[in-house]
Amino acid sequence: MEAMSENKMVPSDFSTGPMEKAARPLPFKDPNFVHSGHGGAVAGKKNRTWKNLKQILASERALPWQLNDPNYFSIDAPPSFKPAKKYSDVSGLLANYTDPQSKLRFSTIEEFSYIRRLPSDVVTGYLALRKATSIVP
Amino acid sequence: MAVASGAAPAVNVFPFRDVRAAPDPVLEAGPVAHGPLPVPLVLDNGSFQARAGWACPGPDPGPEPRLQFRAVCARGRGGARGGAGPQVGNALGSLEPLRWMLRSPFDRNVPVNLELQELLLDYSFQHLGVSSQGCVDHPIVLTEAVCNPLYSRQMMSELLFECYGIPKVAYGIDSLFSFYHNKPKSLISSGLIISSGYQCTHILPVLEGRLDARNCKRINLGGSQAAVYLQRLLQLKYPGHLAAITLSRTEEILHEHSYIAEDYVEELQKWRCPDYYEDNVHKMQLPFSSKLLGSTLTSEEKQERRQQQLRRLQELNARRREEKLQLDQERLDRLLYVQELLEEGQMDQFHKALMELNMDSPEELQSYIQKLSSAVEQAKQKILQAEVNLEVDVVESKPETPDLEQLEPSLEDVENINDFEPLFSEETPEVEKPVATVQPVFNLAAYHQLFVGTERIRAPEIIFQPSLIGEEQAGVAETLQYVLDRYPKDVQELLVQNVFLTGGNMMYPGMKGRIEKELLEMRPFQSSFQVQLASNPVLDAWYGARDWALDHLDDEDVWITRKEYEEKGGGYLKEHCASNVYVPIRLPKQASRSSEAQASGKGSGASGGGASEQA
Repeated sequence: MEAMSENKMVPSDFSTGPMEKAARPLPFKDPNFVHSGHGGAVAGKKNRTWKNLKQILASERALPWQLNDPNYFSIDAPPSFKPAKKYSDVSGLLANYTDPQSKLRFSTIEEFSYIRRLPSDVVTGYLALRKATSIVP
Repeated sequence: MAVASGAAPAVNVFPFRDVRAAPDPVLEAGPVAHGPLPVPLVLDNGSFQARAGWACPGPDPGPEPRLQFRAVCARGRGGARGGAGPQVGNALGSLEPLRWMLRSPFDRNVPVNLELQELLLDYSFQHLGVSSQGCVDHPIVLTEAVCNPLYSRQMMSELLFECYGIPKVAYGIDSLFSFYHNKPKSLISSGLIISSGYQCTHILPVLEGRLDARNCKRINLGGSQAAVYLQRLLQLKYPGHLAAITLSRTEEILHEHSYIAEDYVEELQKWRCPDYYEDNVHKMQLPFSSKLLGSTLTSEEKQERRQQQLRRLQELNARRREEKLQLDQERLDRLLYVQELLEEGQMDQFHKALMELNMDSPEELQSYIQKLSSAVEQAKQKILQAEVNLEVDVVESKPETPDLEQLEPSLEDVENINDFEPLFSEETPEVEKPVATVQPVFNLAAYHQLFVGTERIRAPEIIFQPSLIGEEQAGVAETLQYVLDRYPKDVQELLVQNVFLTGGNMMYPGMKGRIEKELLEMRPFQSSFQVQLASNPVLDAWYGARDWALDHLDDEDVWITRKEYEEKGGGYLKEHCASNVYVPIRLPKQASRSSEAQASGKGSGASGGGASEQA
């Protein structure tokens, strides 16, 4: 296997910088390697962060896929067709009732009295768990 | 750390194990790694755990993967210290103190932060004993996500080929490797794989040994979402223990105390009944220490403590008085000596001494001597008094208020204890309170227990009913039906004969029964199906990849060599029985900081989206 020094992607001026670790360099890797993805799409000093999954998928969508090609976003499961069952936020049992004041679901009278005594942050917490916090009042 | 519960027979009380990972040793590669051909390295790159090891040929297939560590890294505590650098996986020990500083290269199940991926690879190579200079001289089998985005594969190939100089790479899907391991190798098999990992759950139909990627489906829920859900549920139920309910502890509850109900609604009805609840609730005992609560000290103990403090203070004062007495005595002696000089008539020495002492006349000296001697007398008297009082204190069992009051005026004269005065004045009124307050006795252990009842079935249920956490996607059962409906009936029949469950999130007790029940509901009346769980759902992907590597060592059609990477771009993939489907779309080469120099260095072209030929 030929040595890596000739096949470097980037000249050694860019070897210093955020890539080098303070620890002694490990022998089996090329010490002058720079990730090309780290600069982002723009070759400049501004974009220093990695793309996250959403950005990667957004740019992948723009590529010329055919209709039936499998790709990361085409294999997302479809939304459910069946109506969701309602469970109590407090105990997890089947909930037949909803508290109109806090919109929490409950199944027994004891749970109702428990709900009415909850502090508001706990109430918001339960709703956020179900993603039922409403932005529009 | 964890204190067992009290006197009553404790049913279903479990302490938290709170395991700390031991740091991995740097292993020697050993003779296995240096055969005639370079031995492949198998790396199962998972978002929860990375598993790495050698694929050694030979009669003994080898033990478990040599390295298994959490795929996280974090800087050591105390911010960015110079030398330490980020630590990886098991070198971190316990994850909880660093929870907010943990970084993972993964975003969902795709590695996006290749710098952290580089750290993980460094760690793996270093601890496996890779010692070749300048490059890693072994072929690598690496797992990737189902339908891995081309960008991510490009980044990964770039890292492997350019940074580590790996000769050839094969990418595969972990669930397919696991399938490969569990099926007899002679058969070309078809089946339906349900693979549930840390971040997402896949349903993968395999036809004629090859993945049918167009009909795969992925649900974005897995072990981590279940752990976070369980953590939030417990924190909302026990707001007082918010900090003690850590993610590591909820993962422990999930792994050891949760199960999947075969019929969810029926199981919930069972939990309604209080007896069933009592029998089956798991009370997780949080570690606690009784010293934290001050009210456990009875008031007698408090008094004892105060007495000790008083005694100590008195001794301190006595010592100081004696020292001062000594100093005064010495000074008095010196002055008397000077006075003698005067009386003996040695005027010159007398005057010199006076000047040293900063005094002008013999009368001043005289008055000073008188003051000092009276002070010395007083101090001696006070010491005697204090000793008498101390003896009185020691003889009696409780300090009575008259003693303290007697002490107080004598102590007030001494300047040194001015700071102790407020303490003393505080002490007296409290000592006067009656001692007979009884502390309420309650079971401290019970206060620190988390009752995990229906949460045992609620948390793992989210992959079947994502509406529990507000996700709109369909659950495993409905998606399974959707996938099956995309095939004609005979293919459905074929697929259903071989349903294979794999992945760490499939290890709940009752999972197999649940899948069987769901299949029974959706299949036609009196049709048959077969469900099989992987022999080791967590490690089978690694074992499968190793077996595959050993079987395909000489097969050039499945390894991507460095030359091919350079010619065909980073997104290039060679298909094999356990890989993704390759769609030949050329990604524009990412421009790095010096785009001109790079373009000249590489052989392949750099720009534009490629032609889209059908695969």
